[in-house]
Amino acid sequence: MAPNHSNENGSIGSSLHGVTAREQVFSFSVEDGPSSQAIRSDDPTAKFALLVDSEHRAKVFKPFSFAKPHMRAFHLGWISFFTCFISTFAAAPLVPVIRDNLDLTKTDIGNAGVASVSGAIFSRLAMGAVCDLLGARYGTAFSLMLSAPAVFSMSFVADAGSYLAVRFMIGFCLATFVSCQYWTSVMFTGKIIGLVNGCAGGWGDMGGGVTQLLMPMVFHVIKLTGATPYTAWRFAFFIPGFLQIIMGILVLTLGQDLPDGNLSTLQKSGQVSKDKFSKVFWFAVKNYRTWILFVLYGFSMGVELTINNVISGYFYDRFNLTLHTAGIVAASFGMANFFARPFGGYASDVAARLFGMRGRLWTLWILQTVGALFCIWLGRASSLPIAVLAMMLFSVGTQAACGALFGVAPFVSRRSLGLISGLTGAGGNFGSGVTQLLFFSSSRFSTAEGLSLMGVMAVVCTIPVAFIHFPQWGSMFLRPSQHEERSKEEHYYGGEWTEEEKSLGLHEGSIKFAENSRSERGRKAVLADIPTPETGSPAHV
Amino acid sequence: MAVQTFLFASLIIFSSIESNHGATEVSLFTNLENSLEVTAKPTRVGVVWEAGKDIVRITWMLKSSAKVNDDAAFKTVEVKLCYAPISQVDRPWRKTHNELSKDKSCPHLIVSKPYDKTTQSLNWTVDRETPTGTYFIRAYGTDVNGYEVAYGQSSDAEKTTNLFSVEGISGRHTSLDVASICFSVFSVDSLLVFLVKEKKKAKLQQRK
Repeated sequence: MAPNHSNENGSIGSSLHGVTAREQVFSFSVEDGPSSQAIRSDDPTAKFALLVDSEHRAKVFKPFSFAKPHMRAFHLGWISFFTCFISTFAAAPLVPVIRDNLDLTKTDIGNAGVASVSGAIFSRLAMGAVCDLLGARYGTAFSLMLSAPAVFSMSFVADAGSYLAVRFMIGFCLATFVSCQYWTSVMFTGKIIGLVNGCAGGWGDMGGGVTQLLMPMVFHVIKLTGATPYTAWRFAFFIPGFLQIIMGILVLTLGQDLPDGNLSTLQKSGQVSKDKFSKVFWFAVKNYRTWILFVLYGFSMGVELTINNVISGYFYDRFNLTLHTAGIVAASFGMANFFARPFGGYASDVAARLFGMRGRLWTLWILQTVGALFCIWLGRASSLPIAVLAMMLFSVGTQAACGALFGVAPFVSRRSLGLISGLTGAGGNFGSGVTQLLFFSSSRFSTAEGLSLMGVMAVVCTIPVAFIHFPQWGSMFLRPSQHEERSKEEHYYGGEWTEEEKSLGLHEGSIKFAENSRSERGRKAVLADIPTPETGSPAHV
Repeated sequence: MAVQTFLFASLIIFSSIESNHGATEVSLFTNLENSLEVTAKPTRVGVVWEAGKDIVRITWMLKSSAKVNDDAAFKTVEVKLCYAPISQVDRPWRKTHNELSKDKSCPHLIVSKPYDKTTQSLNWTVDRETPTGTYFIRAYGTDVNGYEVAYGQSSDAEKTTNLFSVEGISGRHTSLDVASICFSVFSVDSLLVFLVKEKKKAKLQQRK
C-alpha cells in the first residue's frame, strides 16, 4: 500500500487527541495550528487551497471559490445536476403547446410524467456503481453526454408513444444527482457534509424551477423569429441539449475525481485500491438502512419531482391562472430549493454537533413530516393565497428533508457509498413514479384530492426513520450500544470487510473514515477517549 | 368616528352592489337563443382537412324560423372553431362549461364581424396552428357590451353530425432533424475521444 497511509496511521495511533475535553477528535484541528502545518508538509500531495482532513477532504466550504480540487468539484457537480433537471422537466411548462401538437390526452401526459422520472431509477443505481468503480467525473460526463441525444431527439417526436419514449430517455440523466453527491462526499469532510450536500443538491434541484421560466422564454424568442409554435417548442429543447454538452466537456477537462487526483491514475499507481463490484453491491443491499433511506427519499424527493410535473397545471386549472402566472408559481416551488435544501443540510449538521447522529435522525423526521402535513393542507386549500402559502411551506419542509437525509446517508457505509447514494436517489424517483401513477394519472381523484392523499402517504412513509439504528451512535429512541466493540465506529465500518481483505490492508480508507466520523457522537465526542484500535491496523505498517 | 363607520359601511354596500350587478351579466349557454343558422362547406369533400391548406366556405344568417326582432340585440357575430365531444375525451383543458366565460371548448376565433342583418359568408383557410382534432363551427351573436345573446352551430344539439376532422401540422423540419443528429453525434464522440485520450495518458504514466 502507499507510504502515505502508513505515515498517517502511525500519527493517528500515537496522537493524543481526545485526552483533554477541549481537543477536537480529528487528526487536524480546524484552526491553522502548528500540528496541522507540520503534518501537511510531510505529505507531498497536500498542497490544497482549503484546510483538509486526513483523507484530504476539505474541512471548510467556500461557495465563492473555484479552487482545485474541492470547490471546483462542488461547482461542476451541482451545475451538471442543475442542467439535467432543466432537461428532464423542460417539457412540463410547454405541455399546453405539446398536447395540441401531438393530440395528447391527460392519460398520455400523466404517463409521460411517470416515464420522465422512472428512467432514473435504473440509471441512479448504475451510477452508484460507476462512481465507486470509475469515479465521479466519468459518471457525470456519461450522464450528461449520453443523454444529450435524447434531448435533441424531441425534434423527431410525432405522437404520444414517441413523446413518452423520449421523456423516459431524457430522464436517465437524473443520475447526475448520484455522481454529484458522491463527488462532494469524497471532497468534503463529515462535519460539513450535510451543508455541502444540501447546497449541491438544492441548487441542482432548482433546475426544476428555473426550467418553468426558461423554456417558455426560449419558446417565445424562437417564435419571434417566425417559427410556428409546433416547431418552436422542438427547437427550444436544443438549449438544454447544448448546456449538457458544454457541462460534460467542462467536467472532463476541469474536474478531478478525488482530492489526490483522478481515480484511474491513483488506481494505477496503487494509492487507491480497486474494489469488486459484487462486494460493493452486496454490502449496500445487505444494509437495512439503505432501504429505509430508499423509502424516505421516495417521499421527500419523490414528492418534489411529482410536484414539478403537476403543480403548474394544478394552479392553471383550479384557480384559472394564466399559463404565465401558473409557471411563476410552479417556478417558485422549485426555486425554494436554493435555500431550503442547504438549510436542511445545515440543520442536520447543527443537530449532529449537539446530539450526534440521533440529532440528524430527529431533524430528518421533523422536517419531512411537517412538509407532508403542509402538502395535505395544499390539497385542501380553496383560495389562491392560502394555496400559495401552503405550497411554499410545503416546499421548504420537503426540500429541507431532502437535505437532511443526505446528512445521514454518507455515514451508512464507506465501502458502498456510491451505490447507497445511487439506491437512495433511485428511491426518490421510484416514489415519484408511484405517487404520479396512484394519484395523478387517472380521473379517480381530482388533482386536489391527489395532493392531500400524497401528503398522508408521505407522513406514513416517514415513520420508518425511527428504525435506523447505529450501534455506535444510537437511533431516534435508543441510546448507542454500551458493548465495548460494537460501540466503536471502526467496528461498524470495518465490518464491511472480510478478515482476508483486512489483512491485505484494503480497509484502510474505511478506518480513516471511521476516525473522522467520531463527530457523529455529538458533544460526547469531545469527551471520548477513543484511540484507533491497534487490532484494526494491518501488520505491514 | 361615526363618519368613518359610515364611509366604511357605504364602501362595503357599494362594492356588493357592484358585484351583484356583475353577476346578472354572466352569460350562460343555456340562456342563449339558437337563432342563427351556420353552414360549413369545404372545397374538398370527404377528406381530412389539412391545417394551413384547406379552405372552408362558412355561411351564417338568421334562421327562417326565428321571430322578427330576434336579431335586434346582437351587433357582432363571432364565428368560432369548437371541439367535438370526441376531441374532449380525457382532455379537461377543453371542457365545456355552461358559464361562457369559463367555457374552454371553443378557443379558436375564426372571424368577428359586425352583423348587418343579411346572410354573411367567409372563405376561411384552416389556420396553420389548428391542432389535430374533430371540430364543428359555432357562431355567437354578441350585444353592444360583448355578452353573448344568441348562437348557431354547424352541428346538431348533441354535436354528433356534420363534424369534420383537421390534421394539424407536425412542426417537424428536415433541417431540425439534421441539426439534432449532428449535435447528438458530436456529444457521444467527444465523450469517446476524452475516454481514449485519458486511457492513453494513464498508460503512459504507469510506464514511467
